[in-house]
Amino acid sequence: MNRSKINNKEIPGAEYGVDSRYASKKEKTADGKALMEARLKRMKNLSDEQIITAKLLQLKLKMEEFIKNPVEENQNFFTDFLKLYIDTIYNKRVHFAKDINITPVSLSQVLNNHREPKEEFILRLMIHSEKTYAKICDFHKKTWFQVYFHEKIYDTMSNQSKWRPQVEKHVNISRLIKPS
Amino acid sequence: MIVIATKTNKELKIEIKPIEKDDYRLVTKKRYFFDWKKEEKQEVYKLTLEGNKDILGLISIERIPDEWRIHIRLLTVSKENKGQNKNYENIAGNLITHVSKIALREYAELACVSLKPKSSIAQHYIEKYDMNITGATLSIELPEIINLIKKYDHE
Repeated sequence: MNRSKINNKEIPGAEYGVDSRYASKKEKTADGKALMEARLKRMKNLSDEQIITAKLLQLKLKMEEFIKNPVEENQNFFTDFLKLYIDTIYNKRVHFAKDINITPVSLSQVLNNHREPKEEFILRLMIHSEKTYAKICDFHKKTWFQVYFHEKIYDTMSNQSKWRPQVEKHVNISRLIKPS
Repeated sequence: MIVIATKTNKELKIEIKPIEKDDYRLVTKKRYFFDWKKEEKQEVYKLTLEGNKDILGLISIERIPDEWRIHIRLLTVSKENKGQNKNYENIAGNLITHVSKIALREYAELACVSLKPKSSIAQHYIEKYDMNITGATLSIELPEIINLIKKYDHE
């Protein structure tokens, strides 16, 4: 096979289907080995920019997947995604703190889940991401907010045993609606 | 993501979702060229117009995490979308892009999507999707995956 240019006319039957299933495990292993050797050579030619672009796209796709199908696990998705975002772009996290005009200490507190991010923090992050992704792909403004609130909703609902007894003390129903 | 209606040149939004059990009754060999029931235990995705149930294309894949690779097992468009009188353009391209997005989400800069078509149609895939050739295997990696996503993913 070669990379010679073909005209734009479709090869009859080319797009209707490909049966590309391996006939045996042996074939799959041999093909995988040869392919890996060729890929490793090609990977050496990747620029830093291409690698960063791939990592940022990966982060975007991971966040979109989380928004579509929120994983019900006690994991800090917002801060984990935020760490990935910062570490992909910056060598040191303080540089990100400087770029969004907050102190390194408050950034560290957010990243270590010692403090909730303020709305202002998420707004600055939103604008930072918008500018970072501008030449890479579309990045919805609401993405960080959606990740944050999805996680918040899950945490609140799954930790009812912790907050409910105390909160319920403050709730009284003075007018109970009876079904007619 | 969109397909183009060939008669009107209109762009129409599509959805790509995992196939459901009930769909296997509808994906006949007559309309979708392969025996898709044999793929029931595999990871299979269907492409439909947004809000429509009619399946326009199907793809089945195998994830090979040890190699940061996803291998396309089967790929097809429905009978009416084959050849020059097809109803919609870009069905196969969108399905390959969907798989490329999964590979990129899982493996970032190491991502690879491979397939092994018959040599008679391989040239089409090399040309249309800028695929690399290793023996009889075709693959897209970085930067081709990013280019493909930029071209087909309008979300």
